[in-house]
Parts: sequence; C-alpha cells; structure tokens
Amino acid sequence: MSQPPPEPVDLLEDILGIAPGSRLAALRRRRPEALRHSQGAYEELLRPADPGGISHAERAALALRVALREGEAALAARYRALLGRAGTRAETEAAEDLPGSGEAAGERLAALLHHADLVALRPGACGQADIDRLAALGLSPRDIVAVTQLVAFVPYQVRLLAGLRAMAQENPA
Amino acid sequence: MSSPSRFTMEEVGWRPRLAPVDAETATPAQRAALDACPPAQRRSTYFLTLAHDPASLGERGALFTTVMYAPRGLPRAERELATAVVSMANGCVYCTSVHARRFAELTKQPAAMQRLLDEGPGAETDPRRRAVADYAEKLTRTPGAVSAADLAPLRAAGLDDLEVLDLTHAVAMFANANRLMQSLGDSDTPA
Repeated sequence: MSQPPPEPVDLLEDILGIAPGSRLAALRRRRPEALRHSQGAYEELLRPADPGGISHAERAALALRVALREGEAALAARYRALLGRAGTRAETEAAEDLPGSGEAAGERLAALLHHADLVALRPGACGQADIDRLAALGLSPRDIVAVTQLVAFVPYQVRLLAGLRAMAQENPA
Repeated sequence: MSSPSRFTMEEVGWRPRLAPVDAETATPAQRAALDACPPAQRRSTYFLTLAHDPASLGERGALFTTVMYAPRGLPRAERELATAVVSMANGCVYCTSVHARRFAELTKQPAAMQRLLDEGPGAETDPRRRAVADYAEKLTRTPGAVSAADLAPLRAAGLDDLEVLDLTHAVAMFANANRLMQSLGDSDTPA
C-alpha cells in the first residue's frame, strides 16, 4: 500500500498556488485567525476524527457536489480526489450526476445530495419537511447540523477563492 | 411600516427546525464550541442549534468572530453593510435585519440603510459604500465571473489590500451564514 499524499498545509493557498512569502501569503497572515479557522473548519467538516453518522466518503461527496454546482472546478478536483481515496467509484458517479438525482450509490446518498443541492442553490426553499426527511434517513441532530455546516461551508470557500484569485490577477507576481 | 420590500431592520425572530441544545445540559465539548462564538450571541437559539455538532461550530464560530470583529482593516460598519447586502441577495430576511441594524447603530445613519433595504444596493450614492455593495453582490451571485476589474472601484474608493481581504472574508462568510440560517430555521417576520 502506498502512503496517501500529504495534505496541503492550506487547501486554498495550494489550489491558488500562493507561495510562502508571496504578497498574498503575507496578506493572509495579517488575518491569522481567519487563515487558521478556514483550514480548521475544512478539517472538521471533511475529515473529522469522529465523523458521527456521516462518513468521510459521504462528506467528500457532498463537498464535491456543491463545488460542482457552484462551478468551482479547481475546488471540485480536490474533493473528487478526496472522495477517490475515501469512497467508491459509485459514490463519485452519484456526486457528479448533476442533471440526475445521484442514485448510483443508493437512496441514502441520493437524498443527501438532493439536500446539498437545495442548501447550495435554493436555501430559501428549504422547509421543515426537508429536515424531517434527513431525520427519517436515520440522521441524528448532530448529523443534520454537520451536513448543513458542510454544504454551507463550500460556498464560503468558493467566494474566498474567487476574491483571492481576483487579487492575484490584480497584482501579478 | 410601509417598506415596499420584505427586508427590514426591525427585530425578526428565527425558529429552528431542530430542537436546540439546552444551554444548562450542554456537554463540555458543546460549551467550549459556544465559547468560540461572539459573546453577545453565544446563547442564541441559532448557536444552540449549531451546538449539536460542536466540532464544526467551534471552528466556524471562531472564523465568524474574526471575520466580523478583527481589529483594523475594513471598518466594522462596512463589514455590516457588505453582510446586509449579501443577505438581501440570498433572500435571508433574518440575517439582513441583524446586519442592517448593526450598520445603522454603528453609523447612526438608519435612513441610509432603510433606503438600501427598500431600493437595493443600486440606490447607494456614497461612492465607497456603493463599491463595497456592488462587489458584495457580484461575489455573492456570480463568484466565477469576478476578476481584477471588479476590484478597481474598491481601489478607486481607497480600499487597501487588508480591507479588500476583510471584505472578501465578510462576503464569503455570509454565503455560509445565510445558508445555515435559511435551511436550519425560519425567519419569523413581524406582522
């Protein structure tokens, strides 16, 4: 068995190619708490030591789904790789089945992906029935909050990436 | 109240779709996570609902606190302006009310915020606020279309690098906050 590749120190800087000591790296370190907790939230949502009722593979599938829905290809590629290590081929197929309902890996993942689509794209349309459907799948309140935190966190990453990309463009190295 | 839009800076309630954690019987992990959240809000129904998953609340609460309250950089009133604009774009009546009210308190200019709530960010006439609002709206609605050209109005209005980073953090944070608030509960708009 080969060792898994080392995780980047900071996912977003790795995606954007922000080099240590560069102007944007120095700028982000003027907000050390934001830097630390952006990465910390990513770790706790995608790879928590105790994942409760939502597996690492399901978490990666949900993040991949939202990144794809947001049209953020570079972030989606990272989540696809994470899912490739944590999950099955069918789970990747389900997460990437954007026009469809993502049935490739069973009803439970399809329902989770449906909820991810709802929270990512039309959060105002979410109702009590959508939360009750998650509970009916066997999700505990903790699992429901974790899923919601996760699918609401990827849109944060997408917009931080977009803003940092614009700043990098503005000030070529 | 004759506001033509559904947005308001009046107090709006929020009803969770999951029973919140009871602060009296919270676990040590839940208490520690709540302590990372802004002091004035850590006993709110919203944070007590998020406390079901303490690991994510601790990191996300600390992130939220620094994004909204870290010293220097973008003035706090402009962080509130940006988060109110984002919340309007996302249709989160509750979040809009909270951050519109904070903007009005910090600037003592409730009329300026009321106009924004009624007519949208396009009604903003102050060039710096308009640049902040326009960037907040575009980064919210079409992040993939944002480029350096969208930063030019912010630079022209005098925002430095730290201010642009702070603004980006605030806008990004509310892509998150609005989705949490809207999916885990209901805004309870006053009659």
